[in-house]
Amino acid sequence: MLGLAIAIAQAAWADELTPPAASSVAQTNSEALDTYKKMSLEELMDQQVTSVAKQPQPLGQAPAAIQVVTGDEIRRSGASSIPEALRLADNLDVAQINSHDWAISARGFNSHLGDKLLVLMDGRAVYSPLYGGVLWNMQDYLLEDIDRIEVISGPGGTLWGANAMNGVINITSKNAKDTQGFYMEAGGGTELQDFTGVRYGGTLSSNVYYRVYGKFYNLSDEHLANGSDAADATIQGQGGFRIDTEPSLPNVFTLQGDIYDGDNGLDVGGTVATNEIVGGGNLLGRWTHPISDDSDMSLQMYYDRTHLEFPYVTLGTLSDNLDTADVEFQHNFSLGERNKFVWGAGYRFTHEVDQNSAAPGTAQVIFAPSTLDQNLFNVFGQDEIKLLDPLYLTLGTKIEHNDYTGFEFEPSIRLQWTPAPKQMFWGAISRAVRTPSRLDHDLQIPTGLAPPFQTFEAGGSDFTSEDVIAYELGYRTQLGSKTSASISAFYNDYNDLRSLSPGPAASFGLPFTFANNLQGDTYGFEISADYQIFNWWRLHGGYDFLQENIFVKPGQTDLDNALDETADPQNQVFLRSSMELPFHTELDVNARWIDKVENDNNGVAGTVPSYAEMDVRLGWHAAKNLEISIVGQNLLHDQHAEAGYPGSSQEQIVRSIYGKVSWKF
Amino acid sequence: MEVLIPQDQNLAARETFRAFSKFRERGRACLFIFGLWLALFCLGLNAARGQTVSHEYPLKAVFLLNFAKFTEWPTNAFDKPDSPLVIGVLGDDPFGAVLDDAVRGEIANGRKFVVERYRRVEDIKACHILFISQSETRRLAKIVAALKRKPVLTASEIDNSAYNGVCVQFITENNKIRFRVNLDSLKEADITMSSQLLRLSETIPAPTK
Repeated sequence: MLGLAIAIAQAAWADELTPPAASSVAQTNSEALDTYKKMSLEELMDQQVTSVAKQPQPLGQAPAAIQVVTGDEIRRSGASSIPEALRLADNLDVAQINSHDWAISARGFNSHLGDKLLVLMDGRAVYSPLYGGVLWNMQDYLLEDIDRIEVISGPGGTLWGANAMNGVINITSKNAKDTQGFYMEAGGGTELQDFTGVRYGGTLSSNVYYRVYGKFYNLSDEHLANGSDAADATIQGQGGFRIDTEPSLPNVFTLQGDIYDGDNGLDVGGTVATNEIVGGGNLLGRWTHPISDDSDMSLQMYYDRTHLEFPYVTLGTLSDNLDTADVEFQHNFSLGERNKFVWGAGYRFTHEVDQNSAAPGTAQVIFAPSTLDQNLFNVFGQDEIKLLDPLYLTLGTKIEHNDYTGFEFEPSIRLQWTPAPKQMFWGAISRAVRTPSRLDHDLQIPTGLAPPFQTFEAGGSDFTSEDVIAYELGYRTQLGSKTSASISAFYNDYNDLRSLSPGPAASFGLPFTFANNLQGDTYGFEISADYQIFNWWRLHGGYDFLQENIFVKPGQTDLDNALDETADPQNQVFLRSSMELPFHTELDVNARWIDKVENDNNGVAGTVPSYAEMDVRLGWHAAKNLEISIVGQNLLHDQHAEAGYPGSSQEQIVRSIYGKVSWKF
Repeated sequence: MEVLIPQDQNLAARETFRAFSKFRERGRACLFIFGLWLALFCLGLNAARGQTVSHEYPLKAVFLLNFAKFTEWPTNAFDKPDSPLVIGVLGDDPFGAVLDDAVRGEIANGRKFVVERYRRVEDIKACHILFISQSETRRLAKIVAALKRKPVLTASEIDNSAYNGVCVQFITENNKIRFRVNLDSLKEADITMSSQLLRLSETIPAPTK
């Protein structure tokens, strides 16, 4: 049966490759040619063209489940934050928790402590070693200056290392050369109460470009289930700069930095209102040196500081200060006609201090030791081998050494077949790990009671890395310049996933500790397609399916019954429409349907019901450099929940609207 | 961030999957994924035949034609006064038949057009307008060097190609075609482009005034 299917497919293939004799394609083209040939230069330059091919392809990662969100798509969507922009990547599950917190994951495991996604901003890793996840309320940028966001679902450990277990998000800001001049934006509305952003770009010398920017915003309270305001209003600001030398020079330098500060309200049960404080800054430098046509090397260094104060209702306020210094080297070159090699090495040092404001000996969340210095070393190598002209084999591994578990190996093997220029089949088998975070290893929750009840919950000193072997298949095609489509399917085999174990019977099961007692597998697929119906109307559709089978290893226990790590929708559907309308207006509609999420609060099951939601943006280019837009978000319901346990403290995301004016000169 | 506080101390484990059902589950998953992949593959092929093409390359082809009309080459660029004007495409050809259709029957400054296609820069003999395909991105520096001081009007859609010495870079801005023209490259090639065209283009280096 299989052979027959392949034969049919090949026959269809051959058919496709024969040039169309007198098809509508040629007709349309020659008609267009005739029209264009009668036009003046000025008229020609006013013609609209559309192309879905222009999405930048990241080098070396093409045979993977990758989706690219461009800066223009972010602008058109009306997204006002990076997590909102990530809703445009339909290989992610994006759930808003409250006005400023988000749960985002790829291919499952979007639990309240989701920790299987690596996020990079201009090459700087932003996951927190405190719990292995991303504090999305700390990740911001002037969205106008974001060039693109690449989202890879599936493991990326071979190139990116630990934590790139289920996916990688690469956020790339524009080169300073492409952000010259003044840009200002301002606006306000019901949830995004008021915001303003300013950027200026200029030159330092004839081939050195810079920009500086600042932004500031206020978010209003979301709601609680009973309809009253949740006290989670947020006030936050960020500023920064980026300097780039001319990209064509023999040595290319980038220097950039950001600084931010925010005060995020937290509503814990509706009775106690308190604030989470975030702040930090970073400085990054990169040197790229092309050696020859097909060889270059780069050296990148950054320093990053984050400050977090997180209040617990009855367990004190935890403050976390993290300093990270990171250096990475990478070298690409070709060996003969058939081999493209990339190798690199890196070192990261983190210094993290965690303290709790509660009096010693009382119930509180602490990390022991409170101050921890960690070293992370890595080397990696990858070879792309041309087997036959359209068939490529990529082999590689990363070897990483961390202080908790020692050496970790993350190999992968990839096969890429491009039978025609715009068609690609790929398959991959990869191993990736999630190394222990401080939460897994160093958490302590003393109770303030006498022994044997003195500790309620603790990290596991034997906690080891979680690992996955992932099997992937994918197909991507571009049909003409109007249609593109992709599908990727995966089967992930997990081992040593985090569980919660009871302590010895003598202390009545206390403390509960983290262990690696879960295993299991997940499978599913992601489909997305773009279709340019007319020059002025583009449609996008996406669908994700996910099945998770996670269970407690035989003979072991998990207090959460293997239900605490997987709060994920089984089905997600995305539909987007993007229209250019007369009078320089544009209308965008983004709709999504997210399946119900089964979550679990320590054995007490809860459900976030499935929901459909829709965002709409109407934009008007009032003048060449002036854009006025109105954005409605989550329009279908007064309020709806996307994450969290059902109960009085679960937050509801409310319907909102805002207006925005942006001006370039 | 939220740290979990366990409330339920009931250790009764829920039913775990038995090895047999687990194995069966896996087999089904793999077959399901493969079937789906195959279905989409066939679907993709089917859709390929119904494809429509946007008018980006017809438009660019007409622009190349217009370049010929708004550009003066030195006399030594042509063997004879009636030698044809050669438009070349280097690398993977995005135009297909469109470029040939565009120049058919056209005349510029008394010259007919010929379209040629090249795999490598060494294959180029007499060429007046050269479209350098995206496929040549990695080799762009080598190509520009090989054509240095030759009377060839180079054009490309490769990012930053004008900054890297290509005469005219096609830029798509708000879905419209724009040009970035490297005046130094034109000068080195001894090519004069009409002010009518330059007026509509971004020029580098910017005119010093």
